[in-house]
This record gives sequence, C-alpha cells and structure tokens, in this order.
Amino acid sequence: MKRLLALTAAASALALTLTGCANYSSSTTAASSVAGSSAPAPTLVAAGKLTVCTNLSYKPFEYKDDSGKVVGFDVDLMDLAAKKLGVTQDIVDIEFQQITSGAAFAAKKCDAGAAAITINADRQKATAFSDPYFSATQALLVPASSGVTDLSALKGKVVGVQTDTTGQTYAQNNSTQYGYTVKVFDDFPSSANAVLAGTIDAAINDNGVVYNFSKDNPKTVVGTEFKTNESYGFSMATDNTALQSVVNGVLASAKSDGTYNTIYKKWFGVDAPK
Amino acid sequence: MSAITVEGVRPKKKTSPRKRAQRIRFVQYGVLALVVLLAVLFVDGRQVSSAFFRLDLIEKTLTQGLPLAFLNTLAMTGGAFVVGLVLGTVLALMRLSQVAPYRWLSMIYIEFFRGLPALIVLMGFSLVSLAFPGLRIPLDPYGTVWLGLGLVSSAYIAETIRAGIQAVPKGQVEAARSLGMPSGMATRRIVLPQAFRIVTPPLTNELVALTKDSSLVYVIGLTATSFDLTKYGRAMSNTYSNMTPLVIAGATYLLITLPLTFLVRRMEARGARAK
Repeated sequence: MKRLLALTAAASALALTLTGCANYSSSTTAASSVAGSSAPAPTLVAAGKLTVCTNLSYKPFEYKDDSGKVVGFDVDLMDLAAKKLGVTQDIVDIEFQQITSGAAFAAKKCDAGAAAITINADRQKATAFSDPYFSATQALLVPASSGVTDLSALKGKVVGVQTDTTGQTYAQNNSTQYGYTVKVFDDFPSSANAVLAGTIDAAINDNGVVYNFSKDNPKTVVGTEFKTNESYGFSMATDNTALQSVVNGVLASAKSDGTYNTIYKKWFGVDAPK
Repeated sequence: MSAITVEGVRPKKKTSPRKRAQRIRFVQYGVLALVVLLAVLFVDGRQVSSAFFRLDLIEKTLTQGLPLAFLNTLAMTGGAFVVGLVLGTVLALMRLSQVAPYRWLSMIYIEFFRGLPALIVLMGFSLVSLAFPGLRIPLDPYGTVWLGLGLVSSAYIAETIRAGIQAVPKGQVEAARSLGMPSGMATRRIVLPQAFRIVTPPLTNELVALTKDSSLVYVIGLTATSFDLTKYGRAMSNTYSNMTPLVIAGATYLLITLPLTFLVRRMEARGARAK
C-alpha cells in the first residue's frame, strides 16, 4: 500500500509537470492569435509586467549596482519598451543559453531577452530578434606584463572564453590557425579573473565588458580588438511579432528623438556612433 | 448503563476496516488514472520528441565525444572520492581523538565544509592563484576538482565514518586490547575494518551524490578535452539550440548511479538479513 501511494504521488508529480508544460504551450497559441490580429498587443507572461530575461553580470549592459538593483544599458532600453506598453519591467536572471535557445520563452519565463545578445544565424533560428541596438567587437584581455598584442603570440597558450558566446565561437574558429587551447568559463568574471590569477594567458569577450575589467584591474590590458561586425539585439519568442514590433518602434523613436544617445552616453561615456 | 439515543440522530453506520481500505485504494487508483489521462490529453507529443529526443542529435551526442565526457566524469568523481575517503577517515579519527584540539579542528573543518556550497568551494580553488601568485594546482583541471570536491565530501564522509566507528561494539576494542594489541593496531585491524563494513552503504550513497556534484565543475573553466558530461551536453545543446544532448548526458549519469544505488539496496538487504 505504501509503495502504491509513493508511486501515485510520483506519477501525479510527473503528470502535473507535464500538464504544466502543456498549459504553457496552449497559451502560446493564444498569444500568436493575438499577434496575428490587426491591433497587436503582446500577451505578457505576467499581467502588468514586461518580464525580461537577462544573464548577470555583464557590465555595463546589465549588472547590480551598489544598492542591489539591476541596472545597465539594456535595462534602460527595455524600460522604454515597458513604458510604451504601460507596464513596469521585471528582470529575471537566467542562464544565457536558455535565452539564446528560446527555452526561456517556450517555458514562459519571460517575454523578452535583453542580455547583450549578438544576433547570429543560429540564434535567429531559435528566437526572434529586434533591430540591432548596439555594435560590438571582440577584445583580447591579457596580463599587462605579457605584451601580447595579437593572437599569433598565443601559440601553445590557453585562451579563456565565456560559454555560449560569440567570443567563444571566434576563439574556437581561430584556435587551430594560431595554435592555442580554448578554455570555457561559465561567465566573464571567472575568465577575466583567471587571467588576473595567471592560470590562463588571455581571455576573449565583447569589448564593453573587457575594457571595463581592465579599467578596474590595471594588471590587465586590452591587447587588441577583433572586428567581427556584431550587433546586439533584444530577443523574444519566434511567434511574438507583436512584442517585436513594439520593441522596434521604441528603438526607432528613441534613436530619432535622442533618448538613445542620452542612454548610450550614460553607460559608455561617449556619444552613440552615427 | 443503557445507551442514550438522541431522537433523530441515527448512530453512524460503521464501515468495516477492509471496506475502508478498499475505498481508499479506489480513490488512489482514480487519482492516478486522472493524472495519466490529463498528461496524455495535454502533452504536446510532437514538441516533446522534437525538443528532447531528436534522433539525429541523439546520434551526434553519442558519437561526438560522449565516451570522453563519461570518462572525465568518472575520473573527476573517482579522484574526489579517494581524496574524500582518505581525508574523511583521518577527520573521523581526529573527531574521536583523546586530544581535544584535534577534536575541535576536525569539528570546525567538518562544519565549515558541510555548510559551504560545493560550487563556491570549486570556484575558490580555481582562483587560488589570485591569493598565491605562482601557485598552480597540478593536473589542471582534475587536480582542482579532486581537491575542491574531495574536501567537501570528506566532511560528509568523516561524519559517516565516525558513526560507523562508534557503531562497532566496545567489546571488540576491549577484546583486542586484552589480547595485548596496542590501541593503534586495534583501531587499524579491528575497529576500522568493521566500521567500513557498516558504512559501505552510506558511503556508496555519498559516491552517488559526488557523481552528481561533479556536474558543478563547469565553474572552474574547462578545455574541450576535459568537458564532463553536463558541460558536454550543455555545450552541444547550445550549438544546436536543442535540449536533446542534455537529455542524453543526463541519462548517462544514470548509467553510473543506478548500478550504485542497486548495489546499496542489495547490501542493505543483506545487512538486514544478517541481523
């Protein structure tokens, strides 16, 4: 009897999870039908809130400030979208891969992803993207004493990257040519601190965060930058065209009325590139 | 005394215990059937198979490096368990030592490492060179994993072994001592072998837990040849934007843990019979 009870409990737990998933998928279809109508109003996963998935910490795009609030360039831009929808922004910290693979949207964990996500073909298959809102390049972080200024100086060395990023792809694509080993870290601070600790010889990541780290840690410098023609976009579920058009509209008007430049200057200290 | 019956209130009809048990059983079967029915009704079968069980990706996962990842997980777990076992035994003996400072040190160590998340300990060991420039833990990344996870598990293992030692009847030591064995020899030859027999099932459980904890090594930074199962599955899941490789990696853990838990059950059953 006891065993049967346990079995029943296990089965019901499993089934509840399954039905939970099923409910989500049914509400997806509801969202898409709204999106298909002429007056698009995006269905939000939580009423009255624009729930945004991000991956902390990625200064200055998204990180916690001294008071513990998540702030940054991405946060300010998504605030504009939330304002347009007449709701407030709610930020969820989640694994980067869950955002880029679209799993976070499929599971209704959030409406949009704002995590300095580089738009690329693979990711475009899994999620929809807004228009580009930032141009990034990859930068090489090295110890100041090493004097490394390009990848050819890293033969036989170890280069750290952040998992599931375009920097990782770039590093791996060039590893055979330059003869270095790629070491995958879970986040940027781990790889950057490994450079500082001397356990790896260099780290590759987007220029924004790398410059920020070398500024805080003068023992490290940016050896060089690689032009990779990358643009960041905000992502959402592939069928969420309603939200996509809202975000695009907000970005376009922010760029034309100067709001974008104000936000850009606030976080990067310089005017936005024309 | 005669029974007082209030008018209008009929004495409750008594159901026999057997009937009641039967009724409860029916309810349970009913709940089970309902839950299964709901699951079948609402599950999106095509999405489940395309998101979690894509055939071409199952094949890719199995052939592209799963064996290596499997070996890495085994090596990381095995090494950490050896470190944990050796250190745990020493700590257990210290915990039961006559010398008070040994007892305190051991207790502080155990409480410290039992209270810390393994993930944070691993991160700490991966960045130990920040504190001691020039210091490198050998056999990167295995050395770091063995130390980090080994230190954490030694705290748990120490408590298990201490319980095992204390479960050995006092008469055993007394008999050994009365035969003229020095106390060190009695511990080594009489107490510890019996203690280890007692704690083999819980230690195997600790090994199972350690196998799963080895999935945390992604935080220390891994090169492609040292990917463990979880990291391998995650990396591949990301490459194909599909969860299938992660499902396969997860299933591979069961190849390690299921035989172990089966073994534990066998040993426990045998132990129960012996009593």
